Amino acid sequence: MLEIKDLKVNINDKEILKGINLDIKPGEVHALMGTNGAGKSTLVKTLSAHYDCIVTGGSVTYKKKDLLEMEVAERANDGVFMSFQNPVEVPGVNNSYFLKTAINEKRAYEGLEEMDAMAFLKLIKEQTSKYDLDKKLLQRDLNEGFSGGEKKRNELIQLLLLNPDLIMLDEIDSGLDVDAIKTVANVINSMLDGKKSVLMITHYDRLLELIKPDFVHILNDGKIVRTGDYSLALELDKKGYEGIGIKDETN
Amino acid sequence: MRLIELEGLKLPKKRSEEFVKVNFEDLFSYDFKEVKTYKFDIMGLEIIKDDKNYENSLFDISKKLNSDQVILTINSNIPEPICLIHKIKDSETFFTNSLKIEVKKNVKASVIEVFTNTSSNSAYSVNRVIHVEENANFEYAKVQDINDKNYFLFNVDINQEQNSKCKLTNFEFGTGVIINNFVNILEKENCDYELNGLVKSFDSSNTANVIKTVHNEKSSISNINYKHTLKDFSRTVFKAKSIVNKDALFSKAFQNSNTILLSNDAAIYAQPHLEILIDELEASHGATTGTLDKEQLLYLQSRGISKDLSYEILLKAFEQKIYDNIDDNLIKEFLQTYERDNYV
Repeated sequence: MLEIKDLKVNINDKEILKGINLDIKPGEVHALMGTNGAGKSTLVKTLSAHYDCIVTGGSVTYKKKDLLEMEVAERANDGVFMSFQNPVEVPGVNNSYFLKTAINEKRAYEGLEEMDAMAFLKLIKEQTSKYDLDKKLLQRDLNEGFSGGEKKRNELIQLLLLNPDLIMLDEIDSGLDVDAIKTVANVINSMLDGKKSVLMITHYDRLLELIKPDFVHILNDGKIVRTGDYSLALELDKKGYEGIGIKDETN
Repeated sequence: MRLIELEGLKLPKKRSEEFVKVNFEDLFSYDFKEVKTYKFDIMGLEIIKDDKNYENSLFDISKKLNSDQVILTINSNIPEPICLIHKIKDSETFFTNSLKIEVKKNVKASVIEVFTNTSSNSAYSVNRVIHVEENANFEYAKVQDINDKNYFLFNVDINQEQNSKCKLTNFEFGTGVIINNFVNILEKENCDYELNGLVKSFDSSNTANVIKTVHNEKSSISNINYKHTLKDFSRTVFKAKSIVNKDALFSKAFQNSNTILLSNDAAIYAQPHLEILIDELEASHGATTGTLDKEQLLYLQSRGISKDLSYEILLKAFEQKIYDNIDDNLIKEFLQTYERDNYV
């Protein structure tokens, strides 16, 4: 599904990613771990076409297309979804209107008919009730005045309704209580149908206990320095980065 | 007819502080082939001679050419807004129009005026006097949709009696040379005055809002709130001056201008200005100018919404606050469904 080759990325003229190689096949769950400043968020931001990230080398192939040539919205409509670490507040834009617009943009991209208000409300009711997500969030303006937890729940609602193929989660577990992390895991696990892939950034083992990754990658100073299975995350949790022989190059 | 050649008419000087940066030159020097008075469709309205001495000389232009003033008196509550549509069709013509709206004691009323044109190289000079009597509540909305190569001069003089409320909302959609001139001298206690404006400028439109408010009596509120979205080569002036005099204790005077520039060539000159002679009051003024928030744009696009639609959504959100400030739901509905083609 996603093939990253020797990806090099600058932010503000500073090289952050120094040659990333990563292959994610359909149905696989990958976890990306690493010290602060290692480049984890830069990687997912680059895949989502964040304006800060300037690609200076390498290639990214998504569903056999050159991802780096695709516009932000095109990537999203083709199934790339990034859950933001700190979603921006957008006063004056109703959350429900925003979500319905996003769904219909994707449907238009796929050549499907526009979803009407009734069908949209039905879909919202079905999906939010399954996971105990508060649909009242949709009546408010997009992320405006939301608590940290509400913002993450709102990202989950978007994830469920937009039904992407490549799910990227940038520290979705940060600031969440135990029950909320379980909700995140329930949503992600229910979406895993053998075709969808996940790339999640996390610092903690708790989320990985609930969403078992097929691969765990450790990023250090802009490069993947170790790859293993779930046992690597357990080892890291026990020994720390230095304990497994990874020196924090950013300090 | 050239305005600068009219005998006895004193026009603002180019360097006049009151109208600094306002583009008068073309309007004052243009040679119009004809002068006409725009007639209202409403029959039976009283007409008087306008003999008032106004706060500034821009009011004198219409008055000089035709001192007739039509009187619209609202004696009782009206459930729906009175709607006045002005369509300027004749080219190379200077039109005048003068109306006094009198809202009687305890009455609640609203008026919408729409100004459009199909003319070229014409000017429309409009004088409005709004008199809101004691305990009356008046809401007024204006849509200006005058196109390029036309001039629009809109002068409003507001007089409020004790405990009255007057709310004006201006929608500036046209691409012509537009000058709005608002004056409200608050001589009575407990008046509530609100002036809102949405300026959506594009092409080479040139729009100015010159606003003067004076608090002379205690416990009145003035709240001036403008939002501008500027594209292409458009130019806008926002010049608001609020004076709170010694007797106007416990006044509240607010001014705010927010601008989003959508082109490198668009420009705004925003000057909110307070002159305060007392301590016992609430007052604030501010002006912001910037572009759309790129983090918000990215967020919308990252959910599959195209760049153009994301821009549109964020601009609408910015502008929406002016629509939200309208009290009368019928005015709100009118404005939210307004389309120029229906009024030309």
